[in-house]
Amino acid sequence: MRTLLLFLLLIPATTAYADSPDFASDVMPLLRKHCARCHGSSSQEGGFRLDQRSSAFGRGDSEENLIVPGKPQSSLLLQRITDASLGDLMPLDAQALRADEVKLLSDWIAAGADWPVGLEEGKHWAYEGLQRPELPESPRVSNVELNPVDLFVLQKLQSQGLKLSPQVDRARLLRRTNLSLIGLPPSPEDLNRFLEDETPQAFEKAVDRLLDSQRFGERWAVPWLDLARYADSNGFQADQLRDNWAYRDWVIEAMNADMPFDQFTIEQLAGDLLPDATLSQKIATGFHRMATCNVEAGVDPEANRVNQIVDRVNTTATVFMGATLECAQCHDHKYDPFTQKDYYRIFAYFNNTPLEVKNTSGVTWDFYGPKMDLPFNEEQQTAREKLLAEKTDLEEQVAKWRLDTEEEFQAWLKRLGSQNEAVTWHTDLPAAFHSSDDGKFEIQEDASVLLTGKVPDKADYRFEFTGLTGEITAVRVDALLDDSIPGKGPGRGDPVRRNIILTEVEVQVEQGGETRVLELTLPHADFSQKNWEVAKAIDGKMKTGWAISPEFGKPHWSAFALAEPVSFSPEMRLSVTLKQHYGQGRVIGRPKVSWSQTDASLLQLDPELVKLAKKRKRNKKEGKKLRDAFNASNVELKRLEKQLAATEKKLDELSPNTTLVMTEQEEDRDTFVMIRGDYESPGDPVQAGVPDLFELPPDIERTGDRLELARWLTSRGNPLLARVTVNRWWGELFGIGLVNTPEDFGTQSEFPSHPALLDWLACELIESGWSRKHVLKTIVLSKTFQQNAAAPQASFESDPDNRLLARGPRFRLPAEALRDNALAISGLLSDRMSGPPVMPYQPDKIWRSVGRNQPTWKSAESEDRFRRGVYVVCKRAAPYPSFINFDAPNRGSCTVYRDRTNTPMQALTLLNDPAYAEMALAFADRILSQAESDNDTSRLGFAFQIAVSREATSFEQKILGDLLREERAKLTEAEIKQRTKLPFAAMKLMTTDQRELAAWSAVASAILNLDESMSQ
Amino acid sequence: MTQDKQPSPELTPFARRTLLQRTGFGMGAFALSQMLHGETQTNAAEFTATHFPPKAKSVIYIHLVGAASHLDLYDFKPELQKRSGEDCPKELFESGKFAFVRNLPKLLGTPTENKYAFRRCGQSGLELSNLLPHLQGLADEICVVKSLHTDEFNHGPAQMFMLTGFSRFGRPSLGSWLNYGLGTENQDLPGFVVMITGNVLGAGSPAWSSGFLPSVYQGVEFRSQGDPVLFLSNPDGVSSQSRRRIIDAVNKLNRSQLANIGDPEIATRISQYELAYRMQTSVPELMDISNESKAIHEMYGTSPGKTKFSNNCLLARRLVERGVRFVQLFDQGWDTHGNVFEGVANKAKQVDRPIAALIQDLKQRGLLDSTLIVCSAEFGRTPFGQGDRAKAGRDHHKDAFSMWMAGGGIRGGMSYGKTDDIGYTIAEDPVHVHDLNATILNLLGIDHERLTFRYQGRQYRLTDVEGNVVPAILA
Repeated sequence: MRTLLLFLLLIPATTAYADSPDFASDVMPLLRKHCARCHGSSSQEGGFRLDQRSSAFGRGDSEENLIVPGKPQSSLLLQRITDASLGDLMPLDAQALRADEVKLLSDWIAAGADWPVGLEEGKHWAYEGLQRPELPESPRVSNVELNPVDLFVLQKLQSQGLKLSPQVDRARLLRRTNLSLIGLPPSPEDLNRFLEDETPQAFEKAVDRLLDSQRFGERWAVPWLDLARYADSNGFQADQLRDNWAYRDWVIEAMNADMPFDQFTIEQLAGDLLPDATLSQKIATGFHRMATCNVEAGVDPEANRVNQIVDRVNTTATVFMGATLECAQCHDHKYDPFTQKDYYRIFAYFNNTPLEVKNTSGVTWDFYGPKMDLPFNEEQQTAREKLLAEKTDLEEQVAKWRLDTEEEFQAWLKRLGSQNEAVTWHTDLPAAFHSSDDGKFEIQEDASVLLTGKVPDKADYRFEFTGLTGEITAVRVDALLDDSIPGKGPGRGDPVRRNIILTEVEVQVEQGGETRVLELTLPHADFSQKNWEVAKAIDGKMKTGWAISPEFGKPHWSAFALAEPVSFSPEMRLSVTLKQHYGQGRVIGRPKVSWSQTDASLLQLDPELVKLAKKRKRNKKEGKKLRDAFNASNVELKRLEKQLAATEKKLDELSPNTTLVMTEQEEDRDTFVMIRGDYESPGDPVQAGVPDLFELPPDIERTGDRLELARWLTSRGNPLLARVTVNRWWGELFGIGLVNTPEDFGTQSEFPSHPALLDWLACELIESGWSRKHVLKTIVLSKTFQQNAAAPQASFESDPDNRLLARGPRFRLPAEALRDNALAISGLLSDRMSGPPVMPYQPDKIWRSVGRNQPTWKSAESEDRFRRGVYVVCKRAAPYPSFINFDAPNRGSCTVYRDRTNTPMQALTLLNDPAYAEMALAFADRILSQAESDNDTSRLGFAFQIAVSREATSFEQKILGDLLREERAKLTEAEIKQRTKLPFAAMKLMTTDQRELAAWSAVASAILNLDESMSQ
Repeated sequence: MTQDKQPSPELTPFARRTLLQRTGFGMGAFALSQMLHGETQTNAAEFTATHFPPKAKSVIYIHLVGAASHLDLYDFKPELQKRSGEDCPKELFESGKFAFVRNLPKLLGTPTENKYAFRRCGQSGLELSNLLPHLQGLADEICVVKSLHTDEFNHGPAQMFMLTGFSRFGRPSLGSWLNYGLGTENQDLPGFVVMITGNVLGAGSPAWSSGFLPSVYQGVEFRSQGDPVLFLSNPDGVSSQSRRRIIDAVNKLNRSQLANIGDPEIATRISQYELAYRMQTSVPELMDISNESKAIHEMYGTSPGKTKFSNNCLLARRLVERGVRFVQLFDQGWDTHGNVFEGVANKAKQVDRPIAALIQDLKQRGLLDSTLIVCSAEFGRTPFGQGDRAKAGRDHHKDAFSMWMAGGGIRGGMSYGKTDDIGYTIAEDPVHVHDLNATILNLLGIDHERLTFRYQGRQYRLTDVEGNVVPAILA
């Protein structure tokens, strides 16, 4: 009540209405928008121009007065836009003026056509130097502490006979401020602390706390990353991922540290060129490495490079000047005072970077260009130390093994020396033979088996032997020739390509009804085909195997040692299965299986070694050869060496992360005006420089490089930077900028709703040392920001976009914030910062475009699933769909503002996206486990408080209570099971009552879908 | 205490325009003008439904992704056949840019076997390949443009250029422009629907993005597997009764919020939740082709429940019937760098029957006159071969290629434009991509120079600052 009363006092005694349209804010923009194309600086159709006072009040070729002050009917200007009987209706070939626009022109002429001298082309407000405007006078009677922002806003409101709305209640104020500054709702604790603090500084303290929060940078990075077209992939076909996330982290950190905005600008445009550039300053230059890059076959590297620079020039002009410079790429700008030459002067600043695609092989191109290694982070450092320790340990073990086995080696040498040949083989007629095909075969005298049936596509052969005695150490498979095999074999499938492919060998021993599979090792063969080595016959994989191409028409053999020799007694059964699963009949025509009782470690020895072992005297080299062979045959050593290799590989893979940066190449490129914007048609040469319209202040060092440009952009020589910047920030807080064409401050832009406020804030930004936090704080501490958003219908009707600021800001949250907010409400939100992008839940087959090395989406099953939207991976050809549904851009080009649509696709996303179903479930669990008391009313109250920071009304209690009771009553067991199923095993819930959980998840979903929950 | 009072949002014309262009599936600029007519007094000519009477109301745009070998389908070159195997004329080769071929290649004519022969068809005698037997039977309905050319010779940029008139990111697609201009006739369905067979094209979803236009005009992908529209079906364990209850609760609470706050955006939100609920039934119904007659299934060669180009053709008809403005079909697999003759024959076999069925079906339903069918690709293929001669392919060719149109306002049974004897360059009546787009807009009653959107201080158009309608192909 107190606040309301104070505001009543603010109403001025008399209300001054604007009586006639204002030339600068109302009329000039209309003339520019509709007329300047043909009656402006570049073209004067009909012999007159409407951007110059003298010409507009004169006569054109038709000798009739264009504007007759006080007499709209007699003004040719008005006649030609309303009366088609006088000839083609103006503007020619374009949208006609709307009725309200015609009326405005008519009213202006009727009121005397006041066109102040000096207001014409070249005198555009946004290009004028910044002067701090004087503050409007405070209202005569006021006990409310108004800050300067309010004074400007009130001045305009009063001119319209309006006033500020009362302050919103404190709980909603905190929620609005929270969402505005850190993109997250207040926690119940934060809210209570604020509500309990009744000191006058309570709100300011809350604001300071939010500005100091690490979450601040995460929220403000999002609109900046839209401008920077930050994404994690190339764009176009072959839309591979690339590492640039260190830049995203840099943005977040810089914003958290409140890096002065001029420095923020300079480091991103030219951090690499600063004297003694730091790592962080180099990472910042990732800003301009975000340009999309096509790496299809046939790409022209030079065309690509030019496209990227064009993107850099256009983005620079949009972001730091609010200029539509891209219009001047092919010809002088049609509306704004930028020439084509100006365009290429800025182009020249960017023209010295290296090519960014590289021909890697044949017609394959890859994204390339300067990359920089990042230092190891803590996690990597720990992992590295652990691996290094492992490596040392393994190396020691190997060394120790070598020492400890000297005796074994001598014994081995002795055994080897006593052999007649390396290994001796025995066989017998198999007790049984089975083939998985039609089973026709003949057992031969030499104990081999000749297959005689139809050639199968694939086959398993099983040899069984009984009556063996002694220790069996190895088995051998022979593939023999036979005249009955097509082309003699050894393979049956094709008379020409007689290959055999042994995908897997399996050896089993059966005793007393029990079967065990024996492990095989030390594979050896007389010959192996490339990529089909014999080891692949015992690797457990059915897609690999041992084969013998092109050595057809010759018998072949392979042999395998048993990892542990087995002592046989006659009742035991040895079975050897030859699995041949490749297909196309690549099966053996005449297999034979035999076994050995000699030392299996000799299996892979060539006879040469046996000879060496028999020698009395050996030279050093011969001794080493034997030792190596012994080592190679040892299972334990092999295991150690394998581990060592794996550890070394992991160490190698633990290479530093990288990020993309800008660098200048040694030699400067010459820059030319490109005729019609075509890089293959160079025109006049140009030097790097700022647009002619502006001056390069004398104190800026003439380095002619990006640093010079960056220094000019942040100097007083560029009056646009501070204006466009504060305008965007205002838009973030109020949903719409003071200039509603935030991407364009040129002559076609909208006149600011509050020009003096815009300039005042711009000066405030500069004079605070370019402090973002200072400006934001100034705005949120205004009464303007703190107004109630609720208003009478008339307010929404007459001012739907709230340009006059007679009520508080209220609008739907941007895509990422919407998800962050729901994650926070559900209690799932992870506060983990920085690092590579994350993949939350996403439906299947979103990433399925053409192109090589297509990355695959794997939904995280860890806290990464619930990290903030700013960390979600952005693949330009297939961005995260739930963000796209809420107007997030694909980051393929610089985006200054996002539309705010209201669509059924959004309703479907929040209701049905399984990601939101997970949040509803977690929110239900939070309600059930954290509410102070366990009755429904208290729980509903708790839920409402968390979601929208206020108590539920009795009406809201009733509606949600009804929903809860109906759900509870109607849920089936199957539905309960489905609703409470956890998305991944590691996720834990507190609640054990599944029915309650399921019923509450419906309530939780309803609350998350409230317009209030999704609005700030 | 809360009262459930309902304000009727009476907005200024401008506010209504802004609102309606950001809501639901978007209202078209012309419909808005008309709706607002009562509140304005400017000249009446501005407020006809379109710039001039439209010939077609909707468009089915088939894009053969990867670029079909037009020389083997539409633009027969006997001279090329005769000279097949000769070196490509050096001066021609060196004046162009190609994706793969670097060394002087050999000319490659269409095979002489009957399978690949061309035939003069119908009363008009329009020449079409035997690879398209069904389309041959409809030759009198279609107009083949043989002199199309584009600016880009790589898939990604060329697809963007063809569909958005710009080879980089950020511009609205043709379907978005049309919906921005005309709106959808069925407020319960998106006005711009995309369906895909095979992988997504290289340009990705930016090819059906609304660019700087409000995102209500973006293409919505209807999928043949999983949810037909992303997030259309309820999460596991949520029955349709439960869904209704939740939406009812949400809307009741939103109504009370509307009464308290007054923001008409909340009223819009309420209507969008109702629309979402209706879509949960209407879209699956629409996508379910199993109740189509046997004759229809035979005609198209459809199999319900599968991902098939023929299914998408039939769905395109169902969408157009329901007032969807623009249906975009992408079919992947036409990028025949190797073994072009086998490749194009296989692909032609997949699409010939369903496309012919679509034309016939629309015709028998009296919809062909109001539906424009476009069949194109991002560029064409070279008259010279690429790779091994036995299984040669064709490289990308941007300087001369063919596409065809049929239905709404198109003169059937004709070809327009000519290429030279070997199909390398355009000999007569070149048609640039901007000209094609200007013509498509024209058929829908739109002057391409006047369908503009103000962005970055400039009135943007689909056709940039170019584009001329091709009057000769209009009926």
